Amino acid sequence: MPVGILIAIVKERLEKTANDILDRAGSVDGGIVPPDETEMEQQGALSAIDTSGKRLDGESARKRQRTLRLYVFLPLLFLTVALMGGLRLASPDSAFVFMRPALVCLFFAVVLIGLFVRGGIIAFESWFSDEYSTAHNIANGVLMLSLFAATAQVFNSVIPETGLPFWVVSFCFAWTLWNNLFAEFDGRKLLRSLIALFAFAFVAKYVVLAGLTAPTGDGWLRSMIENPAKETVTWLLELPRYSAGTGYIQFFCLLLYFAGLSSLPRDAS
Amino acid sequence: MKVKYIQILGTVLAVLYGVFIVFLYAAEPRSLGEVTTKAMSAVESTVTKGQVLTGTYEIDQARFNEGIAAFRSDNFVLARDRFERADPEKRDANTQFYIAYSYYRQGWGRISNDDALFKAGLEALKIVPQIDPDFVSKDADLKLKTAAELRNEFEEGLKVTADDFNPLRLVRERK
Repeated sequence: MPVGILIAIVKERLEKTANDILDRAGSVDGGIVPPDETEMEQQGALSAIDTSGKRLDGESARKRQRTLRLYVFLPLLFLTVALMGGLRLASPDSAFVFMRPALVCLFFAVVLIGLFVRGGIIAFESWFSDEYSTAHNIANGVLMLSLFAATAQVFNSVIPETGLPFWVVSFCFAWTLWNNLFAEFDGRKLLRSLIALFAFAFVAKYVVLAGLTAPTGDGWLRSMIENPAKETVTWLLELPRYSAGTGYIQFFCLLLYFAGLSSLPRDAS
Repeated sequence: MKVKYIQILGTVLAVLYGVFIVFLYAAEPRSLGEVTTKAMSAVESTVTKGQVLTGTYEIDQARFNEGIAAFRSDNFVLARDRFERADPEKRDANTQFYIAYSYYRQGWGRISNDDALFKAGLEALKIVPQIDPDFVSKDADLKLKTAAELRNEFEEGLKVTADDFNPLRLVRERK
């Protein structure tokens, strides 16, 4: 077959496919016109696009996507934060170390969730009701539990494990949370203030304190000769020696937590 | 998919994932490879506990036989390991009696006994009357048939008396 004819056939096929796609996407004369939401809502024909790019039927599709986000994606995301929050990598072999949260982390998590309720991030009364089905209430309960676990583990992530730094940072958190309990908030401001608070704690632990921690040496005497200042600070502050990967894991842990928190709807209705 | 089904699916997934996380924090594997090993060990332990709850628990006869063979050839450390693995839930009086007896035979000495092993044996023996107060061993090779006799032997062996300096002790036999 001559090459010219072949090119013409391919060109024709491509044009046909492109036209089909444009037709399906609601185009007029080859130009894509954004659908008028109000008009389409009125007609009950508002549509959403699923992961395969296929259009789904209006309200039911939107509801399904929201339900998937709320009851599948968010609990799994918060549980991932709960998994990562206590994960450290030992130095120098990068072995997993799973740190269980201290009791104070659970207490802080309860206070912080109280703040979410006060700040309007969560309208608690809309999440549980006798009018909902059992499955609905249980699913909401699982989401709230996963949020609690993630919150406790986020505190576990940024509070130093032992020694004086543990008490100092815990005290700072206690002071801040106690003050916030009596302040007037709106949800957005609360979220911003929390991001700033946790970012500061993260930098304090994984940048400042980690920078002061002496690397694992061959022996005490050799370490003292090579890094006398760091070795002394490590000993005085009882700083644990973790490998650098720990900071990266905890960075993404915080990022996921706040991403989940910002996509958590105020109420479940 | 209906909203209700998505909620149920989400709940099931979250519970399974939550259980996995709790397992990780309880088992504390140090590497990804260790996760599998610890998971298998946890499953085995759960199955055994399930058998105990349903009343279908039995000792691992093959391991018990290996333990007996090691016990008869005076390899008491191996014997104890096999007995412990044959009865991980410590619910079989006979196996537990053999474990205690292995401490006696290993710790027995013509001149002096090993106090540490005798103490360990005494400790291991405590469970036998708890499982079966009327336990009597059917093994003809064992001269001490009951927990009381074996306990007495341990206690006498741990005491320091004038009889310990009796030269006739050198001709006594291990029971």
